[in-house]
Amino acid sequence: MIRDFVETDLSAEEIGDLLTMTGFELEEITEEEGEPVLDVNIMANRGDGASVFGMARELLAKHPAAKPTELYKKSLNRHPASDVSAPDAASKTSVTLETPNCTRYACRIFEDVENGESPEWLQKRLRQIGQRPISLLVDLTNYVMMEQGQPLHAFDMDKLSEGRIVVKQAKDGDPFTTLDDAEHKLTADNMMICDGSGPVAVAGVMGGLETEVSATTKNCLLESAHFVNTSVRKTRKQLNLFTEASYRFERHVDPEGVVAALNRFAELYAECTGKSHVPGVVDVYPIKPTSARVTVRMDRANRILGMDVPLQDATAYLTRLGYEVTSEGSTITAQIPSWRIDVVQEEDLIEEIGRVHGFDKIPSRLPEGQTDIGGMVNQEKFTNHLHEEALRCGLDQMLSHSMRGKHPLDTDKPAIELRTPHSPEIAFLRTSLLPCLADAAVKNGGKNLHLYEYGHVFDAEKESINIALLVTGVNQSEHWGHKASSTADFYTAKGLVERLAESGNVSISVSPDSADTRLHPTRQASVLTSAGPAGVIGEIHPDIADQLGFTEPVIVAELDLEQLYSVSADHREPRSISRNPSIRRDIAFVIDKSTPYSDVQAVIEKAGGPVLEKNWLFDTYDGRGIEPGQHSLAVALQLRKVGENFTDEEANQVRDSIVSELEAIGAKLR
Amino acid sequence: MQRIAEVEEKAVAAISAAASTDELKLLDQQYLGKKGELTGLMRLIGTLPPEDKPQFGGAVNKAKARLQGVLDARVESLKGGERAAQYEKERIDVTLPGLTPQAGREHVLQLAINRIHAVLGTMGFEYAEGPELEDFKYNFDWLNYPEDHPAMDEQDTFYITDDTLLRTQGTAVQGRVFEIEKPPLRHYSIGRTFRNETVDRTHAHTFFQVDCFMVDEGVSMAHLKGTLDTLASAMFGDEAKVRFRPDFFPFVEPGVDYAISTPKLFGGKWVELGGAGMIHPNILRRAGIDTEKYSGFAFGLGVERIPMMAWGIDDLRNFLENDQRFLEQFG
Repeated sequence: MIRDFVETDLSAEEIGDLLTMTGFELEEITEEEGEPVLDVNIMANRGDGASVFGMARELLAKHPAAKPTELYKKSLNRHPASDVSAPDAASKTSVTLETPNCTRYACRIFEDVENGESPEWLQKRLRQIGQRPISLLVDLTNYVMMEQGQPLHAFDMDKLSEGRIVVKQAKDGDPFTTLDDAEHKLTADNMMICDGSGPVAVAGVMGGLETEVSATTKNCLLESAHFVNTSVRKTRKQLNLFTEASYRFERHVDPEGVVAALNRFAELYAECTGKSHVPGVVDVYPIKPTSARVTVRMDRANRILGMDVPLQDATAYLTRLGYEVTSEGSTITAQIPSWRIDVVQEEDLIEEIGRVHGFDKIPSRLPEGQTDIGGMVNQEKFTNHLHEEALRCGLDQMLSHSMRGKHPLDTDKPAIELRTPHSPEIAFLRTSLLPCLADAAVKNGGKNLHLYEYGHVFDAEKESINIALLVTGVNQSEHWGHKASSTADFYTAKGLVERLAESGNVSISVSPDSADTRLHPTRQASVLTSAGPAGVIGEIHPDIADQLGFTEPVIVAELDLEQLYSVSADHREPRSISRNPSIRRDIAFVIDKSTPYSDVQAVIEKAGGPVLEKNWLFDTYDGRGIEPGQHSLAVALQLRKVGENFTDEEANQVRDSIVSELEAIGAKLR
Repeated sequence: MQRIAEVEEKAVAAISAAASTDELKLLDQQYLGKKGELTGLMRLIGTLPPEDKPQFGGAVNKAKARLQGVLDARVESLKGGERAAQYEKERIDVTLPGLTPQAGREHVLQLAINRIHAVLGTMGFEYAEGPELEDFKYNFDWLNYPEDHPAMDEQDTFYITDDTLLRTQGTAVQGRVFEIEKPPLRHYSIGRTFRNETVDRTHAHTFFQVDCFMVDEGVSMAHLKGTLDTLASAMFGDEAKVRFRPDFFPFVEPGVDYAISTPKLFGGKWVELGGAGMIHPNILRRAGIDTEKYSGFAFGLGVERIPMMAWGIDDLRNFLENDQRFLEQFG
């Protein structure tokens, strides 16, 4: 069909490429009944492209070597017909517009029609573009719409009550059956074509069942109208009806092409049947489009485009696209064509000039001017740092969906729910990363996993960025020579949390004061910062672990990165290191298990003072020889002074004073 | 003096006869050690007349030096063979499996994100993150969407309320930056975006998007192309080329779709990467920016497209399902 409008030697592929470079992207070329058919994407703001004529205009603008045909010139002239103002049609019907959503309504009348099959050429062309041939009148409305872009509707005139047309908004609750036999309840938002008694079509969307043309139709009223795009879109959405007509009206159809389409239909009808129509067009056109003028300064256009387009070229491009153009100095003023409501300001014309000239001619230049140091800063940088540390700690990074279903590891805060979720699996926004990591663990076998994730979590109060980890089993694949030294437990997770915090220069403490119902009641802790709680560490509650199918303990931790960042230091304070040798003393003592080790450690550190460089627990024992409820702890003390060596006696004195302080809290030296 | 020669001769014979370095160690002690025979001769020096003393001492020392030389040479010659035997005993099978270190694996999307940070960060673009749960205002109003744009439909966008939704585009960060900063500006963000799509191999409801923009005096589409060329080269190699094609997005004018092509990948075909263009003057005006003085470009980029194109991943669903059989091929 495009060759009906454009005379050219270009191949279908070349035409497709040229259209692509005008913005109408070629999707594919298929061969239908021996001819190539181009499937082209229409941009949302370019209703004028939804016709062969519109495509031809783009092609001719982009490729002036191609020649317009007589049909193109006639279409450009809006298919003049000599009988348009004849009074005959107006004597047989009338059109009343009662809504501003219809700015123009025109019709022609065809009498004594024989609505049989279309001629083969017409049927073939419709089949080639995937349309089912129905009857001559219907096929011609579709054909003219495809060709000219103007949707048409054929009514069986004898079924129109009083043979007249009224366009108005529906009343809330009015029922209506469209020609696809679907019943609808209308609202006042729906613009309807009515006859003398009631609605006969949903304006711009679909005709009604009762007034549809059929094989027995004798007389036909052919509608060509202009409906406001936003009104059609609203109705299409409400009624959930998507048609070729609504597609075009939503994107805007040229109001000046309304009568042209009627005339083109009449011409094709005469060609197909040898018959003529009732002379005259009934044309009610109360609201004419305001014709805007937009000015483009070519120096600015070239500055924005980053390439130099000569003034006379720019003028020629706009003229070929249908703008009426005048220029003064380096300024072009363009009258916007009625089919282009998308062009309203200078930048729109700059795009027009640029795309015809060719965006491929734009050179490549690096940005100039002053800039700050780029990349991540502040909290994002902190987050990235902890992410990298987690990797170094041997954790595998996971990324899970933000939308998910309910999970036993959700926090107790209510989850934000999507208003219209399309499945329960994605109905909620995650409140925690723990459900995600648990899912990932299950997916990967549930054993010997060391995983972590950072990402956004949500509750009614705020959106936070958290980091979470999950450990279970050994973090080493089975090896013939090296046996894995231990399986993950609470202390594995605690150590990881401490390491992450340390790497971010955050000081945290781990407190037994925690009652998270998702976690093992006696194996969980809260993570505290100077600004308040920042997370939890704990073994997944055995009941939940059972439910999820875990057979070995799974330990998790989750931290609020914003909270951690708020108390992070730029760096840690370095201390000078002594060049004198250290001396080690070990102590072993029995103490009640109910005394938290943090208390023990605090006593040791206080009693040891500055010469106690380091101390660490290296063994615990609660077997034979130890009273029930007690355990034996073995702690190493590393002592060092600056500028002088420790003597054995001095070291023993420090050890003894630590021991006596420990005895004061109930420890007994072994 | 004769005594010296006798001891030396005996020692040399013993050294020659020794079969191992262990035996030589004993001989070393026996003759040259503190209480060794040769060293012991020195003690006889006291019994000699004073005029003979220096001569005798010198002879003993010379004998010791000679013997040491013989001993060392013998040690060297024996050591070779002994070491060889030892090494044979220590032989291992180097084809046995190595012990894999326990470093964590980075997610494949993170790897792509890292590369984007590296390029845009070094070009002076500052990273800014926005929320996933976004205000309608930033997702649509700020971005020049007309009131009833189809993208706002419930069937395209996940709404929580009329005013809050899961952002449909990374561009939503722009309004947040414009509210607090003034040009010159260079920013980018990387994060999740959401569209109400039915999931299959090529469709996802969640995907990661880069949004990058700059506003300054004299910014043109040539600068946009230069930035994208740099990014494409870093991602897909120096031969990567960028092509603009006109396209429509409410937030840019002129608007383009950009595609890349390299002879090495995708059979030299043009593959679309994202939308781009000059920031719409309505947006700049809303931000209080003088459009006569300043202009800006913006582009979006689907993060998933990078590993999909560079490494031939063909199923979008893999990205957020956390199957380690998939992930361990990359991190």
